Amino acid sequence: MMKRNQLILGDKTLKDITDDICQPVETLPGKGWVGMFLSAKTLLLFYIFVLGMIVANGMGLLGVNHPNGWGTMIITFVFWIGIGHAGTLISAILFLFRQKWRTSVARTAEAMTVFAVMTAGLFPLLHTGRPWLDFWLFPYPNQRGPLWVNFRSPLLWDVFAVSTYATVSMVFWYIGLVPDFATLKDRAKNKIRKTVYGVLSLGWRGTARNWSHYEMLYLILAGLSTPLVLSVHTIVSFDFAVASLPGWHTTIFPPYFVAGAIFSGFAMVVTLMTLVRIGFPQFKDYITLDHMEVMNKIIMTTGLMVGYAYASEFFVAWYSGNVYERYVFMSRAGLPGTTGDYAWSYWIMVTCNVIIPQIFWSKWARRNIAVMFVVSIFVNIGMWFERFVITITSLHADFLPSSWGNYAWSFWDGALLFGSFGMFLTLFLLYLRVFPAISIAEIKPMLPVGRDDHKGGH
Amino acid sequence: MSEIHHDHNEHDHQHDEAELAAKKAARPKIEKNQANHWLSIDQYMQDPEFQKTVETEFMSSPLREDEASNPWARREFLKLMGASMALSTASCIRRPVQKIVPYNKQPEEVTFGVPNFYTSTFFDGQEGLGVLIKTREGRPIKLESLETEPLTQGGTSIRAQAHVLSLYDLDRLTAPKKNLFNEKRTNKDTISVSWENADTAIVEALKKGGVYILTGNIVSPSTQAVVKDFSEGFKATHVAWEVLANEDVRKGQKASYGTDVLPFYRFDKSKMTVSIDADFLGTWIAPTVFTRQFSKTRKDFANMSRMVAFDSNYSLTGANADIRVRIKPSQQLKVAVAIAQELIVKQGKSSYAGNGEIKNWLNSFGNAAEGLHIEPALLKEIVKDLWAAQGESLIVAGGLKTQTETSAALQAVVNLLNSALGNDGKTVQHRRSITSSGSHSEMAALITAMKDKKVKTLIIHGINPAFALPAKSEFKDHLKNVETVVYIGDRMNETAMWANYVLPENHSMENWGDAEMVSGVYSIQQPAIKPMYDTQSMQITLMNWCFQAKVGPKRIQEFESYYDYLRNFWKTDIFPKVGKGGNFEKSWQELLQSGSVGEVADSDSARSFSVSSVTDLKKPAVSDGWELVLYPTSQLGDGAGSQANIGWIHELPDPITRAVWDNYASISMAAAKKLNVKQNSVIEITVGKDKMELPVLIQPGLQDDVIAIAIGYGRTHVGSVGNGIGKNVYELAQLAANGQIVFAGSKVDVKATGKKYELAQTQTHHSMEGRQIVVEATLKEYQTKKDHIIHKHPIWSVWSGHQYNGHKWGMAIDLNSCTGCSACVVACQSENNIPVVGKKYVMQGREMQWLRIDRYYTGNPEDAHAVFQPVMCQHCDNAPCETVCPVLATVHSSEGLNEMVYNRCVGTRYCSNNCPYKVRRFNWFNYAKKIAAPANMALNPDVGVRVRGVMEKCTFCVQRIKDGKNKAKLENRPLKDGEIKTACQTACPTDGIVFGDMNDPNSQVSKMFKNERSYALLEEWHAAPSVRYQAKIRNNGKDQIAASGAHEGGH
Repeated sequence: MMKRNQLILGDKTLKDITDDICQPVETLPGKGWVGMFLSAKTLLLFYIFVLGMIVANGMGLLGVNHPNGWGTMIITFVFWIGIGHAGTLISAILFLFRQKWRTSVARTAEAMTVFAVMTAGLFPLLHTGRPWLDFWLFPYPNQRGPLWVNFRSPLLWDVFAVSTYATVSMVFWYIGLVPDFATLKDRAKNKIRKTVYGVLSLGWRGTARNWSHYEMLYLILAGLSTPLVLSVHTIVSFDFAVASLPGWHTTIFPPYFVAGAIFSGFAMVVTLMTLVRIGFPQFKDYITLDHMEVMNKIIMTTGLMVGYAYASEFFVAWYSGNVYERYVFMSRAGLPGTTGDYAWSYWIMVTCNVIIPQIFWSKWARRNIAVMFVVSIFVNIGMWFERFVITITSLHADFLPSSWGNYAWSFWDGALLFGSFGMFLTLFLLYLRVFPAISIAEIKPMLPVGRDDHKGGH
Repeated sequence: MSEIHHDHNEHDHQHDEAELAAKKAARPKIEKNQANHWLSIDQYMQDPEFQKTVETEFMSSPLREDEASNPWARREFLKLMGASMALSTASCIRRPVQKIVPYNKQPEEVTFGVPNFYTSTFFDGQEGLGVLIKTREGRPIKLESLETEPLTQGGTSIRAQAHVLSLYDLDRLTAPKKNLFNEKRTNKDTISVSWENADTAIVEALKKGGVYILTGNIVSPSTQAVVKDFSEGFKATHVAWEVLANEDVRKGQKASYGTDVLPFYRFDKSKMTVSIDADFLGTWIAPTVFTRQFSKTRKDFANMSRMVAFDSNYSLTGANADIRVRIKPSQQLKVAVAIAQELIVKQGKSSYAGNGEIKNWLNSFGNAAEGLHIEPALLKEIVKDLWAAQGESLIVAGGLKTQTETSAALQAVVNLLNSALGNDGKTVQHRRSITSSGSHSEMAALITAMKDKKVKTLIIHGINPAFALPAKSEFKDHLKNVETVVYIGDRMNETAMWANYVLPENHSMENWGDAEMVSGVYSIQQPAIKPMYDTQSMQITLMNWCFQAKVGPKRIQEFESYYDYLRNFWKTDIFPKVGKGGNFEKSWQELLQSGSVGEVADSDSARSFSVSSVTDLKKPAVSDGWELVLYPTSQLGDGAGSQANIGWIHELPDPITRAVWDNYASISMAAAKKLNVKQNSVIEITVGKDKMELPVLIQPGLQDDVIAIAIGYGRTHVGSVGNGIGKNVYELAQLAANGQIVFAGSKVDVKATGKKYELAQTQTHHSMEGRQIVVEATLKEYQTKKDHIIHKHPIWSVWSGHQYNGHKWGMAIDLNSCTGCSACVVACQSENNIPVVGKKYVMQGREMQWLRIDRYYTGNPEDAHAVFQPVMCQHCDNAPCETVCPVLATVHSSEGLNEMVYNRCVGTRYCSNNCPYKVRRFNWFNYAKKIAAPANMALNPDVGVRVRGVMEKCTFCVQRIKDGKNKAKLENRPLKDGEIKTACQTACPTDGIVFGDMNDPNSQVSKMFKNERSYALLEEWHAAPSVRYQAKIRNNGKDQIAASGAHEGGH
């Protein structure tokens, strides 16, 4: 039987673990964190200004036009929603499969999920022409008729899917945090801290009954979250797949989107984890190179999956004999006889998502922090472009060539995309300072206590 | 707070007091001491203190008796409080109070919500159209076509449809102005002046003699009479001038036949038409009338006409030709001569075959067909067809593109051909000619007179020579020699700014008038609104001056208004001519109702052709290299008038290039390669001494030596919309020795500059990519294959579909009739309150027109054919937009309409993404708010304006459907087929759009749907549209359309 490396390095005692993990929460932030936080916050303020301008003046500020009714907002929405997938996958599915290595990264991945979904959630709301009427998208009893929503519209399914996902992942995350909040409360040296974490810990006493209920609830929530991992991006993909547009109307979209989401989610986890390892060196013992390597393997696997999806889309376009679909795909790749206006974006996508992750065939690369950081950034870029390719190349040249037209990319599109990182990073940086970034309660059982090969004494 | 009045005037005070007294008297008196019931001991005891309390208890009663005794009564208190509140809140912003005022006395003929229609006439300097003006509550809101009009028989043009917006043009002059000049007439200050003062001063000037009156082409007989009377009174010289004057045709007629007329061409009688750069479907003389005539010959496939166009830019005529041959202007004459050589010399046909003089002259050209892009076999075929259709063929040449150095020779050979083919008197009618005046030579004479200081007073009406004449003609320079220049027009334009007095003229919709477009056919121009500003008609202005100076015939001094003059003129001059001299009032009423009198006569006779008109001409030198073509566009025309300030016109895509808001140098692909430039590259063009930089637009199907540029752009003083759009290429026109202006064929030097200038086009992809979008077949192909010209897909559905039990609206669009003229697009814009977005946003793909005309090129790009396809919402039965809207803002009606509920729309734009036809338009910004007064008066009250953030699209003119159904219901009868017409349908001069009920098997639309040419756009996608197209047939004698839009690939 293959022997695994230890999940926690450095011969930690239980107290060491608690101290290590609580350290960022209990000490004043360093210069690095403050610098990063201030930049992220400035970006967030800029983002708020950008969104304000768009709401005040209209969608016309962005590059959306005819025929490209959707643009940066929807692309970036799918991008962030996709990123959110890794968290739930790690915390729920890997939990159910008893993958113990997940423990070190689960909390932060879940936080990433929650923040990514929050970031994403703004887009579909603000991308409407009249965002102040967005509540019309929810089916609730009203005085207007009553006017009901259209249950046939994938956008409506989206509303349910995303809001359910946001709720469940947030509850799941919070439940996991409860024992750790209690630990923080117990360690607190001032009253405010004690009160705040006391309230957050919901009266957790660490009794056997508490633990029993907790474990059961956690298992149930993991069970609830698991189908959501698959359903959310499946339904997001329906926004495209159910439409009749060539390039959108394909049955491969649900699995393709889910694989892509996991791919991008893990890339983002790797990006963030490498940064966390740099920012909080003590976490290197918990988030080890072994952890990173496993995630890199997943990145490579899912990268191959999306690569397969890209190829099969082309095959199906050819095999279907549908002239419109054939044209869209030929144009995507910039094949002769087409305009190929967006071939550059397609090849950026293929390079970032299919070619670059191939470097992870090498064990050295899988275990090299610098390499994996660069690769994860490329994958993130590639996955944004994947959504760009899907949205824009399909819209810009559909059935009637007379209506073909390119996306009118404007300053506001770029501002929106970059600003959204301000929101995400601000939340994430705050999270690192106020919540324990690794589950203290869950990581302790990972200690090799009582194992045969354990070198230390008992 | 502003509504509280602090001071009553005297009258109000008296009124108030009297009212108060009356109220006091009416008030029931309190019987103080006779109370049977008491409320308290105090009252019972009649305690004096209590009495006082009771009296003052309701101190604030407005009817309190002792008001005068108390100076601080309630009213005063309220006044003071109001005043102080007004003071304290004056700086705050309140929602503006909007007052609506109902009619005090409702005019008898106005019913709220019901439009009134008035017959009238639209005239744009070249073409006059009988129209109906639709008014709502006294405001003209749209021009409708007038089917009783004998010339167009319904159908309008782009400019006619856009005309209503010029009435509400913000930049119209609202009162007379006086320009103050310094000695050199350079420095200028504009002041207002009263009509009286202006009239007095001008009459003084007129009395001094040396009076010239410069007008455009006047088609109004009564106006001609006014001008004649005025000229007689003041011994004035009348000069008429138009850019698009067709003087070359008139001169050619004069030389060949001795009569200076612009013949009335009968395209409806021609089975074989050859046009040499005469864009009769787009810009030449009367394009709407000609389009109607032409389309009539295209509907019966057993007797379908053929049209051949030799085209030196890509004109609408060229696009609609069965055979289009690209030429350059210097080849126009060669084309005409080549046809004549083939006919007269080679085939020896016609009575001139034996005429040695002509043969010799023709032979002096050598083989004229050499160097043309035309195969000898094709030329032979064309001539064969011409000869076969003797008396039923027509050769035309004319327009700006033929104003070359050799225009006289071209006209002469064309006349020779028409005479040789027996067309004169048949398809070329001269007895009933088109009213046309305006001459460059007369203008040249006027300029000389100004130079010689013979002109003391110059009255200019309407036209804009300072803009449309090149600077080298020195019009502007010599205008300074004129003591008094009076400009009568609607704005302070490039000419008016040099006039001493600028007198604002009524808009034509505010003015009476008439028109004689073709001799013997008279139409009336009724006003539809009272003059909005302090303006008056040009006719009454002239009449006033004659009256004040006591000169001229009796009638010009006698009548108090132009209306009276006009009526009298019709009574004495026009009605007797058309045999309606009897009961004037009856005839007048009939005229106002029908809009016109007189008919187009068919009887005419051949004239004798003067051979010397041809043989006297010398063979022109052969030219090589780049050649300039200046052409008018069908949207702007000469661009010198008020139309250049209309957003609808500038945002209407050019029918061929699909470019908006600019002019540009069109060159062929080979030329671009030669110059090493791309689309949007700026090139420098040098013609003689004139240089100009213009962006390049690559135009398939152009002759490789041609640089074609549209005139009418580059206005500097037309108004806020039209200033600074494009470049004024009138400056590139050259002066010929004989006083003519050369607009085409000038030698050009071209070089690339390396600069860039981005053009806005609403369509940037021009190929159908082998998809079945516009189905086109040759006549031969159609006659053999019938409905097999359309590739049909097996379609089945698991769904039973909607049930339509009442009406089911549908629209049939005959692509074979559609010429792409685009009048429907502007009609739709006018009917449906569609905003204009401007060049910047068109470049971003945000144009708002609900109806667009797609233009595709087919075949070899060097000789590209163009096809047109109007596309609007297809009102699909299985509408893809309806299923994806999350809030049910777009829904299916029981009559098959795809309805858009603006109020419900939140603007996800999913519907637009899912629309295979991409016909939905989104309000990216709050466009409706930008419609500034008074243009908001042109809005159609039956159609809402849309706020930002909602989707909009074609509704099949649902307001007209409702209107028609209501009418039928009120009259308790079923709806008749053809009763409901959409705005695009009424605007179409070719009857290419038919709207109706598909549930009625006898309706015209049902019949057209069964037509074997009928197909739906993207039929295999099975959205099941309610719009079906009829395939286009080209009668080019070939077996097959080269690389047509037929379907490729499997399915």
